[in-house]
Amino acid sequence: MNVEHVLTTCPYCGTGCYFFLQVVDGRLIGVVPCKTDEISQGRLCIKGYNAHAFVQHPDRLKHPMVKDGRQLRKASWEEALDKIASEIGRIASKHGPDSIAVFASAKCTTEENYLFQKLARAAIGTNNVDHCARLCHASTISGLVLSFGSGAMTNSIQEFEKADCVLVTGSNTLEAHPLIGSRILRAMERGAKIIVIDPRDTPLSRVARFNLHQKPGTDIAWINGMIRTIIREGLLDREFVESRTTQFDALKEAVNGYTPEKVEDITGIPKHELLEAARAYATSEKAMIAYAMGITQHSNGTDLVRALANLVMVTGNIGKEATGLNPLRGQCNVQGACDAGCLPEFYPGYQKIDDPEMVEKFEKAWNKPLSHDIGTTITCTLEKIISGEIKAVIAFGENVMISDPDIAHVEKALRSLEFFAIAEIFPTETSHFADVILPAACYAEKDGTFTNTDRKIRMLRKAVNPPGEAWPDWKIVCELGKRFGATDFEFSSPAEIMKEMASVAPIYGGISHDRSESDVISWPCPSKDHAGTKILHTESFKIGKGIFAPVHHSPPKEQTSDEYPLIMTTGRNMFQFHTGTMTRRSPKLEREAPEPYVEISRVDAKKFGISEGDRVRVTSRRGSITLVARVTERIILGTIFIPFHYSEAAANRLTNPAWDPISQIPELKVCAARIEKA
Amino acid sequence: MISKGKIAIVCRKCEEKAINELAKREILDNDRIIRIGLACSEDQIALCRCNDPVPSSIDLGEAHRGVDADEMALDLIAATSEERLNFWIRQFRKCIKCYACSINCPVCICDECVLEERTFVPEKGIPPGLAFHLIRAFHLADKCIECGECERSCPADIPLLTLRKMTKGDMKDLFGYSAGDAKSISPLLTTLDEQPLEDESHEC
Repeated sequence: MNVEHVLTTCPYCGTGCYFFLQVVDGRLIGVVPCKTDEISQGRLCIKGYNAHAFVQHPDRLKHPMVKDGRQLRKASWEEALDKIASEIGRIASKHGPDSIAVFASAKCTTEENYLFQKLARAAIGTNNVDHCARLCHASTISGLVLSFGSGAMTNSIQEFEKADCVLVTGSNTLEAHPLIGSRILRAMERGAKIIVIDPRDTPLSRVARFNLHQKPGTDIAWINGMIRTIIREGLLDREFVESRTTQFDALKEAVNGYTPEKVEDITGIPKHELLEAARAYATSEKAMIAYAMGITQHSNGTDLVRALANLVMVTGNIGKEATGLNPLRGQCNVQGACDAGCLPEFYPGYQKIDDPEMVEKFEKAWNKPLSHDIGTTITCTLEKIISGEIKAVIAFGENVMISDPDIAHVEKALRSLEFFAIAEIFPTETSHFADVILPAACYAEKDGTFTNTDRKIRMLRKAVNPPGEAWPDWKIVCELGKRFGATDFEFSSPAEIMKEMASVAPIYGGISHDRSESDVISWPCPSKDHAGTKILHTESFKIGKGIFAPVHHSPPKEQTSDEYPLIMTTGRNMFQFHTGTMTRRSPKLEREAPEPYVEISRVDAKKFGISEGDRVRVTSRRGSITLVARVTERIILGTIFIPFHYSEAAANRLTNPAWDPISQIPELKVCAARIEKA
Repeated sequence: MISKGKIAIVCRKCEEKAINELAKREILDNDRIIRIGLACSEDQIALCRCNDPVPSSIDLGEAHRGVDADEMALDLIAATSEERLNFWIRQFRKCIKCYACSINCPVCICDECVLEERTFVPEKGIPPGLAFHLIRAFHLADKCIECGECERSCPADIPLLTLRKMTKGDMKDLFGYSAGDAKSISPLLTTLDEQPLEDESHEC
């Protein structure tokens, strides 16, 4: 009997817990926490404990498949890859390389994501490469780059327990990032003030000192209201504002109109609660803000992120330990996928496409002329497919048929594609539309790195072999790159790919697998002798001085009406993860949350004649789904909540694809809906 | 999984007790186990508030005296029952139902876990409610050997070891029984002896 314990990184949220996969004779049998890991400290959530469960599931894709007519049939790797190369080649030569788009994956390693964008840019010749960050923190990147010059979490996970105040908004931290929530609980037990601002009661808000509820889509109003209070009561950090920031006068003028009365009117937050929360945040020595999708997924998401940046800067809560503005990233490697340049506007390391010097740098590095045009985002790609500008997509593991807003529209786009190839670990609602399906290795079957939410490079180590003929994505891309006639796709290991990425992306300059084997390093790490950077913006902001942005409340794109009287918002629960491809095949997780549900307040339920457990139909302007009602005290009046994990009642059939003009993140958090007994 | 041969286990005193509990329940074969005794450090003893840290034979480390009492337990016993209840309700509200307390417990051994049974713990998210923790407290009353793994692996820092120590105190007071002893059988498993109890026979 051969028993192994392989130390690797959890494939679920962006916290990046290390754990051991237990392998007995090539079978994964369990997960053991790692007590020496600085992030998890030997603790895991239920998803972590069950991270082995889906890996060797019988549904795994084992062979390449090619569509003949309407039927998929088994094919050899040779045939499948040749078909992709010839179809993409044909379409690109007829309609130009910008008629092709590549969807990268936040579930793949940083090394693989580096290759995905290199494939698009250097082999196909387009900047049309994007991934699911577009749906989660695109507005964080655009907003924080404008305010601070860097779009990542400013501080580290460990610091949460040292804070005197933690303000959490738009994040259900204990369910979506449990081991970060755990640090916040620790701060709470130490006496820190926890402020949760959310339209729902979350497990964290129920134990927090301050529990404020705003109407969905009204966040700028309460943030500006807080800033106004802080300025008027003299609670601002004058020295910081004067020495480290610019445009303060514009901010002061912008927030002036947000009186507590007006804020209460817009948001529904009682004025004394707002004042108390503002004072608690501003008077704490070390105050941290954590936020997630509740802030970013709005049609003014960039403005919202900038409003939070204003709040942080006005109190000087940045650049020091246990302070800062901390976007919690949802995918195990969404940070790494962004860092690797799987964004249509950035080369690896956030080097701008619209900077001719950068184009030249990468043309030299990759030995190929490159497109100077900023590429198309995922949200916009779907539009361009329908309008006929984009004809073919190569996707690495995106499940847009569950994750993207207005699924009927997504389906229309996928049906209009001339050619669609996907690399996946399981058959998904999206792979159903593919002309070629490639079986990919999952996290437990390959080496590489993930970069977690606080910019730490975490090692991924192979524990078992991939099923059937499945390959790791990096090998798939190398083979595709060669078939597109590109040179420089001759990599024999992920470590070699990281070496190339480190040579072109200065923030990863000092990163290598050798170093990451023994040390946990946070980027920016420009050189081999650099220890990495735990806290950003300590001496100055990346753009010099932090910029205050005078932003104003604007209502969500879709308003309630007589026909659609309720606001619908979406989110996650503890036991399922995103589109459920992995968690719904993990028996212990599925057992805990097996069916789709809609949460509705007691008063609204009575009004619409709905009782606990009823089958109900929820309808928006775009579609209709049927699911079970959960009547609860834990959601504000006039709002309903649906987790988006379930394909049998996909919340995104209803959501609004309206997007933020700057970051093109869709407004997944607010749409108008009605509910009735089914 | 390994059907033959001897198995060497490095064990602290608490783990030695866990092996006894498993052997009594015929889950481990005592004859096949070689114990390598590890004496806990003072830090480890303080962390576990352990009053019985010295293994029956010391192969590694050196013996240190145990700690007499769990201060939190003393405080709770001194408090009113209402205060005690409120304390635990507040603690259990932090629970994220990760099952770490059960997964990492050396004596949590049922094939089918009642915590996964919907009748008692309905699957409606987190926190899972008082029943989850009370079921575990009762299930472990005659088994818990106070290793503290539940508390250390709890992401919510619920003082589970204190709860176990308090239950253990009750077991000792009510039944004169402590878990972990190689020979004595749990009184909870042996309330019916050969003669039916008098009260019950009258009721029939």
